[in-house]
Amino acid sequence: MAQFFLQTVWLIPSYALIGAVLALPWSPAVIRRTGPRPSGYVNLFMTSLALLHGLLALSALWGQPPHTLSFSWLEVAGLHLTFDLKISALTVGATVLIAGLNLLAQLFAVGYLEMDWGWARFYSLMALFEAGMCALVLCDSLFFSYIFLEILTLGTYLLVGYWFSQPLVVTGARDAFLTKRVGDLVLLMGVLALLPLAGTWNFSELAVWAQTANLEPRTATLLGLALIAGPMGKCAQFPLQLWLDEAMEGPVPSSILRNSVVVATGAWVLVKLEPVLALSPVVMATLVFIGALTAVGAALIAIAQVDVKRALSYSVSSFMGLVFVAVGTGQTEVALLLVFTHAIAQALLFMSIGAVVWNSITQDLRQYGGLWSRRPISGIGFVVGAATLVGLLPLGSFWPMVELLNHFWTTEPWLAALVLLVNGLTAFSLTRVFGLIFGGPTKVMSSRSPEVAWPMMLPLTLMTGFALHVPLVLAQWQLLPAWSTLDWSLTTALAVTGALGCGLAGVLYLPGRPESIQFGSKSFQEFFAYDFYIQRIYRVSVVGLVDVLSRFVSWVDHYLVDGVVNFTGLATIFSGQVLRYSVSGLSQVYILAILLGMLLVGLLVMQ
Amino acid sequence: MQLQYFLLLASALFCIGIYGLVTSRNAVRVLMSIELLFNAVNLNLLSFSNYLDSTDIRGQIFAVFVITVAAAEAAVGLAIILSIYRNRETVDMEQFNLLKW
Repeated sequence: MAQFFLQTVWLIPSYALIGAVLALPWSPAVIRRTGPRPSGYVNLFMTSLALLHGLLALSALWGQPPHTLSFSWLEVAGLHLTFDLKISALTVGATVLIAGLNLLAQLFAVGYLEMDWGWARFYSLMALFEAGMCALVLCDSLFFSYIFLEILTLGTYLLVGYWFSQPLVVTGARDAFLTKRVGDLVLLMGVLALLPLAGTWNFSELAVWAQTANLEPRTATLLGLALIAGPMGKCAQFPLQLWLDEAMEGPVPSSILRNSVVVATGAWVLVKLEPVLALSPVVMATLVFIGALTAVGAALIAIAQVDVKRALSYSVSSFMGLVFVAVGTGQTEVALLLVFTHAIAQALLFMSIGAVVWNSITQDLRQYGGLWSRRPISGIGFVVGAATLVGLLPLGSFWPMVELLNHFWTTEPWLAALVLLVNGLTAFSLTRVFGLIFGGPTKVMSSRSPEVAWPMMLPLTLMTGFALHVPLVLAQWQLLPAWSTLDWSLTTALAVTGALGCGLAGVLYLPGRPESIQFGSKSFQEFFAYDFYIQRIYRVSVVGLVDVLSRFVSWVDHYLVDGVVNFTGLATIFSGQVLRYSVSGLSQVYILAILLGMLLVGLLVMQ
Repeated sequence: MQLQYFLLLASALFCIGIYGLVTSRNAVRVLMSIELLFNAVNLNLLSFSNYLDSTDIRGQIFAVFVITVAAAEAAVGLAIILSIYRNRETVDMEQFNLLKW
């Protein structure tokens, strides 16, 4: 029986895919009588099946060596594309995480989208996400990883563009698609360049190849840079981070999923590619640089936001930056651990603020206040999520951060300082959000704010429970560092920076706070509030260039290329119009023409 | 060296006829120029028949035919001019430019 579940692991993505198809008949134009809700229930059922299957397969797999499945997808001259599956505790565990988070997010959406008629589209896309991500973590081939990344990019476009009658949604979905697409396209260059070098796209075989590969440094560097471009866009790293900010225009339940797991798909591919990236020290240094820049920059931006969803979305970028740093220094295990704890924490944070936004309507932090006494469960959820995300208490992310510190302190102290700084800044920003929403005096928008109904409350409390159990789970899996190897001064430093950030923000924002707090000059504050004016930078640089270039090319096509062809037609018309005047109507002129013709022919004959 | 002089005279007559043909404004003068052309041709035929074919004189036979056909042609030409004149009350060639582009 256990063997059966292992052999049919490929069903896990299929359940979600079937759910995606089954949801569609409840689109408003197809089944008109029942309303859209059955599509949600069908998908909850299919996701539960996927979760159950994943759990059974995981328990069957526990303590066993990983094994692989392989299907032949396409065989043409000289190219054999196989669809490889790697079935290990890690990959099946990842599908359990994805299906579990998706189940909770879908249940949350049952409450959140209560007054929405577009369930079929929403649940279908959520299921597509789940299918894509489960397939991504199970597949062991770079080529198919790329395919699933692209499917997820399309899914992001459609899901962010869910309420497409809002203009900001349309631009946000556009930016999300194009930004991620650019990264994916560069990734495709890397993927295509890798095949002639390595002869395989299988991750396991790539790792074996990379051990003995002897590449020219420049080739390895360019290859690695192309390969990290895809995850850069996916993980919303500088300078491709704007899309995640604008993707916050989509519905909250999808944000739960996106910020916890979809964004981490890039990190997953990055972790899998680490042996290839390690071929070039330049690539690893770039990874660390981008990760460090994003980690600090996004953490600072998050502090300066007034929109609650955006304040959290930048901390996603920031933590993905830490994952980049971890991969850039070769610590893939820590990176995966960080992705795991971050997913739990962000899902919980987004559920909590989703529950708050749902019946307080505004997303503006300046209009919130004093919800703690009336929204205790949402507040506790936020606190637990924040504590899981930052290294303050020994919850969740504390442990991967400790391991990062342990590793960096002896080799690269400045990266240890970076981790501590990001920890402090994130603690500050999350406490600020908490203080502005739950602390202080009540504002108009939050004066009557009841706790939400059970479909939102249940996933929130379940998630809180999971987040509290993460350290126990990690201890059970023996993923925690042993007590003897723990450097207590570093652990203390981590807790102290977290406490410092929390304390500072708590002092500033929790009590009767001033209307708005000014740090430094106004331009300094706005520099972070407008996320480094990245939108303007895009518009001037890439968008401007492509825009001008495409206008020019369009002009060339319209006037030069079309013009040449049209000119021949016009010249023919014009010559006809002019030459007809040779028919003068005077017979004597005709006679003269005859004579001149004869003369000419005569002269020619004479010669 | 007699033949060349006749031929030169005939061609001179022909050219004068051509000149008159394309420059005259009066339609009757155009017909007169055409007559001049015929006569230049006839002079050619007669001189060729005299100097090159004095036994069979086929050129003279040709010339007789040309004269008769030219007479008939001139009669039809004058008839056409008369019918145009009845409609348009002019014989100016430059007034007959209705059939143009």
